[in-house]
Amino acid sequence: MTIRKLVSATLSALAMSAAIAATPAAAGEVKIWTLTFDNNSANVAWDKIIKEFETANPGITISREGRSVDEHKAALRVAAQSSEGPDIYFMWAGLGLGGEFVKAGLSKPLDDYYKQYGWDDRLVGTAASFSKIYPGGRHGVPYTFHGEALYYNKALFEKAGISELPKDYDQLKATAAKLKEAGIPAMTFGGTVNWHVMRLMDVILEAKCGADKHDQLMDMKLDWSSEPCATASFVELNEWSQNYILKPFMGIDQGQSFNLFLAGRAAMMLEGDWLVGQLRDAGKIADYDIFPFPTGTDRLYGFAEYLYVSSKSSQADDAAKFLDFMLSDKAQQDNLGAFGSISINANVKYDKVDPLDQKWMDIFAKYTKIFMNGDQAFPLDVTTEYFRVINEVASGNIKPEDAGKAMQTFIANRG
Amino acid sequence: MSKKQPPLRAGMEGYFLLAPALIVYLLFAVYPMIDVIRMSFSSWNGLSPEARFVGLGNYRAILTQDPVFWGALWNTIWWTALAVVIPNLVSFGLALALNQNLPGRSSLRVVFYLPVIIASIAVATIWKWMYDPFFGLFNGLLMGWGLDGLIVDWLGDRKFALWSVFVAHVWQAVGFSMVLFLAGLQSVSITLIEAARIDGAGRWGVFRYVTLPALGPTITIVFVLSLINSLKAFDIVYGMTGGGPAQSTQMLAMWAYTQSMQLGVFGRGAAVSVVLLLITLVIVIPYMRWMFRREEMGK
Repeated sequence: MTIRKLVSATLSALAMSAAIAATPAAAGEVKIWTLTFDNNSANVAWDKIIKEFETANPGITISREGRSVDEHKAALRVAAQSSEGPDIYFMWAGLGLGGEFVKAGLSKPLDDYYKQYGWDDRLVGTAASFSKIYPGGRHGVPYTFHGEALYYNKALFEKAGISELPKDYDQLKATAAKLKEAGIPAMTFGGTVNWHVMRLMDVILEAKCGADKHDQLMDMKLDWSSEPCATASFVELNEWSQNYILKPFMGIDQGQSFNLFLAGRAAMMLEGDWLVGQLRDAGKIADYDIFPFPTGTDRLYGFAEYLYVSSKSSQADDAAKFLDFMLSDKAQQDNLGAFGSISINANVKYDKVDPLDQKWMDIFAKYTKIFMNGDQAFPLDVTTEYFRVINEVASGNIKPEDAGKAMQTFIANRG
Repeated sequence: MSKKQPPLRAGMEGYFLLAPALIVYLLFAVYPMIDVIRMSFSSWNGLSPEARFVGLGNYRAILTQDPVFWGALWNTIWWTALAVVIPNLVSFGLALALNQNLPGRSSLRVVFYLPVIIASIAVATIWKWMYDPFFGLFNGLLMGWGLDGLIVDWLGDRKFALWSVFVAHVWQAVGFSMVLFLAGLQSVSITLIEAARIDGAGRWGVFRYVTLPALGPTITIVFVLSLINSLKAFDIVYGMTGGGPAQSTQMLAMWAYTQSMQLGVFGRGAAVSVVLLLITLVIVIPYMRWMFRREEMGK
């Protein structure tokens, strides 16, 4: 082969590959990017729903790509720079995570679709409320909704002589003190994953500051260094970590913490509704009960995972049609328990539920307002500093009185 | 070949042959490096289409406002200083020992080299379990010996966390340098050693005046490789502590990654990378020039 022929063949091959790569997505193809869910029943349910949707809607094909958390975030960032990308993408709700994408204009407002399909008539109100927190319209639809509460070991409470559940924060501290007197650490956390100990700070902040100030601090509209309730919260966090948390906790993760909880080494754990399944799998569901963290406000601690429609999607109508199918009474009923213990659809019927599941349903029915986890409320960089400050206070490395100043300095330097 | 090639043509042929490798190198090594430097002067969240020029803003931010940067820099320097010395001294000792006619020498070489071929993330997992404060090997042994008072939260206490990770690193890194030292030791001329012995040199004399000088190039390579690998320490620290507790084991390379890929502040991440690059160049270039000059003089 002469050089000229070789060059010519190479150029032809390159041109062909470019042509193939440039081929747009087929008409009627909706691309969905999600996580590869640890809970495999979610992956199975996705495949099932997609198959049923395609059967019911000839002409629309759905392709779903699952990735690990960091890969998913990186893929979305790359997609943000190109014309290629998903029509629907998974992201947590909240200004810190989903909000970054909304702020960058990568999420399509769904107000019209909410009206067209009447989603509000079937969605659990608290789950759907996250779609309203963004500026410029409603963004995303709920995929899962999780509440977090205190799980407690009934036998350990009994052993410590605790017969009544705490109704406010002071009573909770008295309960912790009583457990300590009986030689039982009140709570267990895993410090290597920063968000686990963060939960304690989040709920203390709600208890000490009240709902309004809590939200203003999270919105960075109040000064962390001069707000007395912020400092009081760090003081409380320090007190809990020094006196009432099973030690050592900074070198273990949430999984190890759960194992210690199962082994009866601590009396309480601040966890989400998903823990019911884990307790069931461990065969110990009867040994535990739950109560919401007594913050004294009328809000439940929780967060949501959402599915957003990309602003770059050329298949937005088909994407919305698929979301409507996914949120439907039938799809949610058929796949109950696959995505989370509680469906985001309010019309779903629960049969043969465990008492703990029932407790969660009662909690969800009782609360109409929520306050979300710090790592979903803050922008990402502030979250990292929030983690650092919490860990320093919990480890006793910085004084609680100086923690608010550290937070505020970081926030002020962001400009 | 009947015709003599003109010199220019011969030169062009060389460039032509070099071109594929050069293009790949320029595209995947040089261009990203230049782009990181460019990005370090920009503000970009990885989502918006345009990056905004901020001049030295990112450098000012990491140097004066970032509560983690200086700790990460100090940890990187600490880690590098120790990682260049301790694992290499251990591996040099091992190489000297395993260069003797010991029974089971080959098996021992394999045993000491094995950690090198284990993925760092697996090494991190193994050691994490051994360090577990409740169920781990070390605290288990302490409790078994009745030394409950010495139990430590190895990875959760900032006084011990970086040291604990470093021990795991030494365990993993020793085998690699050991093999290089062994290769160097085996290339030392027997004739020179015998000549030194005939001249009356003892064991120490042979080691000091024959073996050690002959290992000069090997020591340079081991030093430079250790230095570069230490400065970019990432995987084992990430796998064992993720930079915690409270960022106390954070490293520059990891902080650059965290800033860019997790926090979406690519400009600051790039600025941290550039600082790391400068530190590496400032240390490595003079050392290599000195070593090469010394070798040239020795020829």
